[in-house]
Amino acid sequence: MNRRLQPKKELARQAMAGTAAVDPVVDRILAGEDALIPSSGFAASVMERVRDEASAPAPIPFPWKRILPGVILAIAALGWCVFEMAQTLLSTAKSLPPAGHLGLGGNLPAITTAGWIALALLAPLLAWLFARRVVGGSALL
Amino acid sequence: MLGAPQSSNAAEAADIDAADVARVLAGDVEAFAGIVGRWQGPLVNMAWRYCRDRGRAEELAQEVLIRAWRGLKSWRGESVFSTWLFALAANVYRNDLKRVPAVTVSFEDAAEPSLPGSQLAALDERDRSGSVRRAVLALPRRYREPVVLFYFHEMDIGAAARTMRMPEGTFKARLARGRELLRKRFPRLREWSTASAGADFSSADEVSS
Repeated sequence: MNRRLQPKKELARQAMAGTAAVDPVVDRILAGEDALIPSSGFAASVMERVRDEASAPAPIPFPWKRILPGVILAIAALGWCVFEMAQTLLSTAKSLPPAGHLGLGGNLPAITTAGWIALALLAPLLAWLFARRVVGGSALL
Repeated sequence: MLGAPQSSNAAEAADIDAADVARVLAGDVEAFAGIVGRWQGPLVNMAWRYCRDRGRAEELAQEVLIRAWRGLKSWRGESVFSTWLFALAANVYRNDLKRVPAVTVSFEDAAEPSLPGSQLAALDERDRSGSVRRAVLALPRRYREPVVLFYFHEMDIGAAARTMRMPEGTFKARLARGRELLRKRFPRLREWSTASAGADFSSADEVSS
């Protein structure tokens, strides 16, 4: 027997035994509730909904085949953007003067452009994450 | 279990459920009426114990039956149909209560039941029962559900733990904690129990003399 689990089980057993001895009133009150009888139209109402669902046309499946080329294209475009941005950043970093001779004036536009690109890529992602949080992660998002 | 089908043989009832499910899956929509008829009572009673609101309980039970209809294929017969259905119901009720809580009074503010002695004993009893039941709804969520399901399943720990899809050990620990909280919140219930027993004895003495 697992020695680490034993104390927890024993604790639960003791707790159950202890409360069982002192809770006859609570047991009687909570176990002795009168049964609620569903209203007369309940079953009919459920069956009506079931019949409606059964007779409804099958939901249109999501057109994955049609949308797939677009998704692939978007992913490729994103990849290309990231690649271009990385290249720009690398070339900017290489062209920077050594430390101590910071001449940021000449390289500032390239860095600023890269920053704007990064922000433009990040903004839709943040908007998507925010929308997902608001909606509660529904299948549409 | 409140409102459960009055079948003398649980296995026979399970077979009827399985047969109805097979018929529904074969395309016989009306076979679902049998399932609705057998389980509407238990589902409404279970929902009632979660929210203490009759209208809401019926709405929730209806939602469970519709979801069961949609998801019948996912029941593979590994467990009894009722176990699957109650687990589905517990999930629906739990999520709905997260959205709209059933109780507005905190556990600490739940009224303490009065001691017996009043001439209106029936009213006293009703008030006492109402207080304890409201206090169950005000328990912290992790202890509330085990308490609700334990009594719904007529104190069958195994059935209640299966409904919560939880190991029995964990279920027992949470149940014990929930009952302990109730006991601490209502210490006078024990006095009431003793007093009731004393009253019973004294009335028995009167009858015998």
